[in-house]
Amino acid sequence: MKAVLPRSRRKERSPELGLRTASFTFILVMVLIPLAVIIQDGFKEGLAEFWRQVSLPVAAHAIYLTLWTSALMTIINATMGLLTAFIMVRYSFPGKGILNAIIDLPLAIPTLVTGVMLVILYGPQQALGQFLGQELGFQVIFAPPGIVLALLFITFPFVVRTIQPVLLELDRQQEHAAATLGAGRLTIFRRIIFPALALPTFSGSLLSFARAVGEFGAVVIVAGNIPFKSQTAAVYVLGAVESENRLAASAISIVLIAISLAVILFTNHLLGRRRGA
Amino acid sequence: MQGVRKLILLASLLAPLLAACGTAAAPDATSAGTGGKVTLVLGAYTTPREAFAEVIPLFQAHWLEQTGQTVSFEESYQGSGAQSRAVVEGFEADVVALSLEADINRIEDAGLITHDWKAVGAGGMMSNSVVAFAVRAGNPLGIRDWADLAGEGVEVLTPNPATSGGAMWNLLALYGAALRGQVEGVAGEDPDAAFEFLKSVLANVVVLDNSARDSITNFEQGVGNVAITYENEVLVGQQAGVDYELVMPSSTILIENPVAVVDTYADEHGTREAAEAFLEFLFTSAAQEVFARYGLRSVDPDVAAATAGQYPAVSDLFTIEFFGGWSQARQEIFGETGVFNLAIQEVQGQ
Amino acid sequence: MTTQRIVLPHKKFRGWGLRLLILAVYLYVGVLVLAPITALVNGALQNGLPSFLAALNTPEFWQSFSLSLQIALGVVVIQAILGSITAWVIVRHSFRGKALFNAVIDVPFAISPVVVGYMLLLVFGRNGMLNPVLSALDFQVAFALPGIFLATLFVSLPFMVREMIPVIQNLDRAQELAASTLGASRWTTFWRVIFPGLRTALLYGVALTMARAMGEFGAVLVIGGGVQGRTATTTMYIFHALEERQYVEAYTAAIVLGLGSVLIVSLADLLRHRTQH
Repeated sequence: MKAVLPRSRRKERSPELGLRTASFTFILVMVLIPLAVIIQDGFKEGLAEFWRQVSLPVAAHAIYLTLWTSALMTIINATMGLLTAFIMVRYSFPGKGILNAIIDLPLAIPTLVTGVMLVILYGPQQALGQFLGQELGFQVIFAPPGIVLALLFITFPFVVRTIQPVLLELDRQQEHAAATLGAGRLTIFRRIIFPALALPTFSGSLLSFARAVGEFGAVVIVAGNIPFKSQTAAVYVLGAVESENRLAASAISIVLIAISLAVILFTNHLLGRRRGA
Repeated sequence: MQGVRKLILLASLLAPLLAACGTAAAPDATSAGTGGKVTLVLGAYTTPREAFAEVIPLFQAHWLEQTGQTVSFEESYQGSGAQSRAVVEGFEADVVALSLEADINRIEDAGLITHDWKAVGAGGMMSNSVVAFAVRAGNPLGIRDWADLAGEGVEVLTPNPATSGGAMWNLLALYGAALRGQVEGVAGEDPDAAFEFLKSVLANVVVLDNSARDSITNFEQGVGNVAITYENEVLVGQQAGVDYELVMPSSTILIENPVAVVDTYADEHGTREAAEAFLEFLFTSAAQEVFARYGLRSVDPDVAAATAGQYPAVSDLFTIEFFGGWSQARQEIFGETGVFNLAIQEVQGQ
Repeated sequence: MTTQRIVLPHKKFRGWGLRLLILAVYLYVGVLVLAPITALVNGALQNGLPSFLAALNTPEFWQSFSLSLQIALGVVVIQAILGSITAWVIVRHSFRGKALFNAVIDVPFAISPVVVGYMLLLVFGRNGMLNPVLSALDFQVAFALPGIFLATLFVSLPFMVREMIPVIQNLDRAQELAASTLGASRWTTFWRVIFPGLRTALLYGVALTMARAMGEFGAVLVIGGGVQGRTATTTMYIFHALEERQYVEAYTAAIVLGLGSVLIVSLADLLRHRTQH
């Protein structure tokens, strides 16, 4: 139903345009121009040189480490996030309110603090760190597991909070019907609930992946930053920036931006309206 | 009702701001023309932090006495490479005190330093030190010299040469000692043998920190068995009550720390007079004695002679000249195809 | 036919399988989120309460906190206005390239802070694109307050927009239309009809933006210079305190920063839930 607006409202175009101009200018200046500058800087010496920087063994490995730690983290996050969201929505149990508050904590804690906390907890000087390191031979801090742990902490709320609203809105009719037909809880979950949650789980996971790929503050404290062993792409960029290796810095930054942008575009497409598409 | 709640929230957010406004430090005027006050901006590397904390008040008193002008300082401490880069990119330091000459050269090349900074004081060098090791109290692994760093199960800490000047000194000392035949089991004057030795030590490195200070504090947190570091870094740590030992290798490099006035910024801020005076002050025995107290080796011959006893002797001391100067060293050792990057690549490839 | 009341077996906390799941979630959250926080608090108190209180009293800390706060508040004001406008434009307008525009808004969320700092350097640094303009105006951006402000503005961009979008989508347009047909000006319509519906989301967006802004580290590290009193934010203070072996000071500051952010977000969340029910 299209409302027919009175003639006096035709002048509304100007404020509309004003809003759009303000918004466009804001995004242009804040996001697009810096992006353009870095893209220009990265390709300044041509595509061949850009590619060379990206395929340098140390850079390639940094990107690889970033991707696999983020991916591993995403899988764990998806599983535990789904589980957490499920029990939060469907059940009542002691301490639920506190749990709810704790879920949002990582969002408010600065990443530097996250890194510091993890080093305090798992560092080699602590009992826990020594136990894990010496007894079990499992090194957490200054090794990839530390990276995964930091990323898990930081992105914990994303999957949970993406699934919860969908779960809340879920139509229970089908589940009721299945129950009356004799389906067990597990079957109901597997055949009815999970398919409905697949999309938000997936998109929440993608969001946390995109976030993890660019993470710096926690990782630089916790990772060890050894080229080829524990140096992520973001930390590599820092090294490049600080040793005035502009081309390397720009090239790898572009790769990181491209990955994030691709994941986000895909996620927005999946989540549709909810994200404004 | 809703409005009241919102008001309360707004008030609770604004209150800290109002409080903050009261405590916020207003930046001082940086122009010397405003009566009796001037601000000097110092950009330094991480290690002399504590030393400057003592030297600066001395200078402030000295300057006040001499000119009646109050000089306040704004200090920034980060890895030498990072600091140098920052100055080039726009960090308006009036004076820079960095870990190695090459980082000053970078600022020079950017056109920000236009005078002959080496003509000031003792060849432009504010202090000296040497590369040494920090080991746990009691030296449980019995680390005595470079060769021990390549040992089985030894965990080594050294910073990242991309950001830290100290890291570069460390690696040059290591590689140089090997080339000079001062490392047990490594043939002298044999670049291949030295390269292999470098690789074996790099294989033992567990963390590459951003700066020398980050590296040693990590070591103090229990990471690794030995940290390659500045001699004075260990001495400062010991003064701060940390329980570790200093081990001096038989052969090491002389670390010379340059200091210079950044002409462009000093002139822009109108602080040249104070900046040059500060530099001059750094070479006086008063300041040099403070540096010595913080484990740095003095460039003043008298102070050096007086404090010689507090430093371990070095049997084979060489300088950057062994590598043909910093430009050559940077290219050959730390360039993209330099020794260090090749070594790291091969080590991790295994 | 009598209506049979279907009692679903999963309403109350019951059954061992379920108990195990809930335990699993608690364990996960405990290890991932609570343990590090506990370690941090423990670290701050390691030298006893007087030492902790002394650390709270450090002037340098409050200087840096005040700086972080000022920057965050300035950022919040700009985001509240321009972020909301951007959200409005995304929901209510259609134009070519909207999908890309929408995705671009998320870039700051996923991008590495180091890259942010570097991009700003490329634009505002001494060798940057805008340097001639800045020099002419004698206006310093890089390594000064404006630079940190811009970096913080950049990284907090998505939070307000993403919070506002769902709320704007849910607005009742009938009311707006009614208001305009009754002769209300655009401003009146906005202020009296639209704005009340947006208030809570705005507040929550403000809280998230604030928390994110105060916790920024990587970008500030690259573009800030970390000069005490001038460009040292709380995160830089913590970083430097760690370098100076002032561990209690660092952990204490981390706790204040973390707690502050958590409180702001929780308060806003509480308000949001209160007004929704």
